[in-house]
Amino acid sequence: MFGALQTALLASLFLGLSCGLIGSYVVVRRMSLFGDTMSHAVFPGVVLGFFLQDEKNPYFILGCALLAGILGALMSGSLQRTTRLKQDASLGVVLVTFFAFGVGLHSLSPQTGVSSYLYGQIAAITDSDLLMMGGVSLLIVCAVALLRRPFYVASFDPGFARNLSYPVKVLDSIFAFLLAAAVVVSMQAVGVVLVSAMLITPAATAYLLTDRFSKMMMLSVGFSILAGMIGCLWSYQQLKTPTGPAIAISAAALFGLAFLFAPQYGVLAKYLRRRQQVRQIRRENTLQSLYRIKEQRSDGKRAVTLSELAQYRRRSPSHVLPELFSLKKVGLIESLSGRDVWQLTMNGEQRAAELIRNHRLWELYLINEADYQTDHVHDDAEKMEHVLKGDLLEALEKQLDFPTADPHGMPIPDPAKTSVLLREGGQK
Amino acid sequence: MYFMLGLGGFLAALPCSQVGTFLVIRRMSLVGDAMSHSVLPGIVLGFLISKSLSSPWLILGAGLAGFVTTVLIELIHQKSRIKQDAAIGVVFTTLFAFGVLLISRVSDKVDLDTDCVLHGDLEHLVQSDLVSFFSVSIPAPLLSLFVVALMVVGIVTLFYRVLFVVSFDTALASSLRYRPILSHYLLMALTSFVVVAAFQVVGAILVVSLLILPGATASLCAVRLPKVLLIAALHSLLSSVGGVCLAVWTDMNTGASIVLFGAFLFMLAWGFGPLDGLLWQQIRRRRKEA
Amino acid sequence: MKTEVHALEVHDLTVTYHKKPVLYGIDLAVPTGNLVGVVGPNGAGKSTLIKSIMGVVPMASGWAEAFGQPVNDVLGRIGYVPQRESVDWDFPVTVMDVAMMGTFGRLGPFRRAGASERARAEEALERVGMLPFAKRQIGSLSGGQQQRVFLARALAQDSDLYFMDEPFAGVDAATESAIIELLKELREQGKTVLVVHHDLQSARDYFDMLILLNMRVVAFGKTEDVFTTELLQKTYGGRLTILAEMAEQAAKVPLEKIHKDHS
Repeated sequence: MFGALQTALLASLFLGLSCGLIGSYVVVRRMSLFGDTMSHAVFPGVVLGFFLQDEKNPYFILGCALLAGILGALMSGSLQRTTRLKQDASLGVVLVTFFAFGVGLHSLSPQTGVSSYLYGQIAAITDSDLLMMGGVSLLIVCAVALLRRPFYVASFDPGFARNLSYPVKVLDSIFAFLLAAAVVVSMQAVGVVLVSAMLITPAATAYLLTDRFSKMMMLSVGFSILAGMIGCLWSYQQLKTPTGPAIAISAAALFGLAFLFAPQYGVLAKYLRRRQQVRQIRRENTLQSLYRIKEQRSDGKRAVTLSELAQYRRRSPSHVLPELFSLKKVGLIESLSGRDVWQLTMNGEQRAAELIRNHRLWELYLINEADYQTDHVHDDAEKMEHVLKGDLLEALEKQLDFPTADPHGMPIPDPAKTSVLLREGGQK
Repeated sequence: MYFMLGLGGFLAALPCSQVGTFLVIRRMSLVGDAMSHSVLPGIVLGFLISKSLSSPWLILGAGLAGFVTTVLIELIHQKSRIKQDAAIGVVFTTLFAFGVLLISRVSDKVDLDTDCVLHGDLEHLVQSDLVSFFSVSIPAPLLSLFVVALMVVGIVTLFYRVLFVVSFDTALASSLRYRPILSHYLLMALTSFVVVAAFQVVGAILVVSLLILPGATASLCAVRLPKVLLIAALHSLLSSVGGVCLAVWTDMNTGASIVLFGAFLFMLAWGFGPLDGLLWQQIRRRRKEA
Repeated sequence: MKTEVHALEVHDLTVTYHKKPVLYGIDLAVPTGNLVGVVGPNGAGKSTLIKSIMGVVPMASGWAEAFGQPVNDVLGRIGYVPQRESVDWDFPVTVMDVAMMGTFGRLGPFRRAGASERARAEEALERVGMLPFAKRQIGSLSGGQQQRVFLARALAQDSDLYFMDEPFAGVDAATESAIIELLKELREQGKTVLVVHHDLQSARDYFDMLILLNMRVVAFGKTEDVFTTELLQKTYGGRLTILAEMAEQAAKVPLEKIHKDHS
């Protein structure tokens, strides 16, 4: 009924829907090991399904696999209740016991179909398999849609879920059942060993891209389907390539892209943000230095030479120069003579005054309100001056009752007045 | 022959049991699971270089893969908002997939069988060339298993105190400057080391059972760590002997039967163990009611 | 010879956790031979102070010295009783095993424990009255008994400076008075003990000196000097919200990097 390509696309769709949805919960509830355990625990069911029937019957295998999964979940739960073993060890014991049982049973009477369940083989999927997969994934989608809210609350805050009188234990059992079902849907395409990849990797990718759970589920389904399709097509192109690993690696590649390039949480974005901040702080330090040099003078001259600045900042002129140019670009300073003589513009004067004000306010705050020693506060203010703004600044001014001098007796400039003075001075 | 099978199983299972016990008491079973999967590409690469399943290249390759696993997990976990368990899941499935892919690529050119790597082949090991060792002739792979076992037991004994304190009380350990992070890497290195040694016996997927089952069984039987380690060692001995018997009797895959026998021993401890045995719990409850 | 060597000196210690500040610019100099209480509201960073000095959590800046030397170099002279919450009570150890851990500091990571270490551990257990329980698994004891065992471990360390993190938490009255007697005994022997404590009322009776802590040191001195309504109000009168929020903001910005190549 279905051609090769259609089988691949449909299988990817079913796989993506079930693993994408269930996997989102697995990732946010930190149940990776549980997912891995369930995927291994269904294996003896698959073998038994083959073993007991002469002809491959997808529904019978489905039944056996689900039964094995449920047994595994029950056993690990019982181990946790009755022994001192922690969750991880209980799950681990179930995982290895069930899987070894499957491998042993398989070695007793090897069935040719079984190995396609281990590593996945899209070519071995028959039409009736597809029908079964479609039916089960439809069931999963419906169940998740129906139980969306209780699942959501129980994942985020089980205590609150109990508070809302949701039956948390029943929900957990339903979830374990759905997880086993998702494993069954996907194991022919990716294989039981790698179902974990489909449960975790696409959902983790989605987790890097959004802050909303509903969106995360959508994205996760999307990534699962995409990875499934890439992997299926890949393994069609090169028949030797087992489908499961191909899908898992496709999913991992998508994850890698998101890990590096995600707009908010990607490594690159974080690096760029950080570099931006470092530059900003460097610029602000230079700006302040210009202000302080001017402040120390008695003659009120505003222009500062490059060598003066470099000496003040204890840096080489070549180090300071790029910062000066970037300050000039944003109009905070102007050059009076090439690269040698510089002066704050009106905007620059105002921004520098703000920074100096922050610095001195913070020193005052640390000494007066937080009981720090006088010799302790300069270094700290050196950092905080870049951070202080908005509501916090207002709160600080209010708490200190709008002071005009810092603990060392230096005036705390008022940027608003600075700009007015400057403007008047310019008119004269 | 059967003796050699049992011996081979034991030599593989013993170092796993010692390292695995620490994984279990540190709640790191998932890490053991991940490690046993993710060394696969290293093993395959080592095999491609050396063309032999029992060469030091395999240990080197697997050590490298284990190191890559540990570093990647830390990287993903620390540089992004992904939690540790999901990071482990992403890394080990990817590396394992990569390993299976490699095998499928080269399997028609070299003699590397998916089944053998993934399900183990103890018989094959035992039937390889004999070497003479103190005038006892044993199969060469068994000798290397013996060396690995000796080394791992030696290292665990040497670093016993460090591993013990770090596992029980990280705060005390770091106040004693035992370097918890370094100990973590030591444990990871040991894990990948024992996994490579044991994968030929039970296969790459079932190695994790040699890590988890002995420790889990032993923690149901004793309250002192030295005793727990001893019982774990005993578990590895019994399960290899019992497993080989089971395999001979039923003609089952030896690796799977070793694990199944180990699981059976675990069930015994669960049912009748001195600490959390269901039987005693039941009796205690009866007494309380009476 | 310097006679006035402080048992503990801390300078400009700052600790952040998940980029949130816990301690900010701590300066302390604790003279030898005192029983010092660390008090402050919940979340004031009391435990963190001890943990950062002991190297359990990393310092963002600052340093700590004991007896005039870096803490790292004199670990053998420092005993540490961590909070009980950090312990896995199902762990396969007995009471004796825990007490023996006290001797590990002197032994280093490899040297085997001998009869003298065993004797020291037994004596320590005896002193806290836990010797009869030596063979019991640690999780099978009551909270108070567990605390005594951890105290015994510290005693077996035979240190000159002790850090104790909430030793009275979840402990019955009898154990509490037994512990305080023991601490006073230690002080009589010229040892210095720093105790994180959450009960203000008993703090006044128990300790010679108090550190009033709330993200920064509000006051440090003799109990009778600092146990004043004004200082206590300052300590417990809520966090310095501006300081906390600013420090949190600052932790998100890579200031340290600039700062380093600045100076």
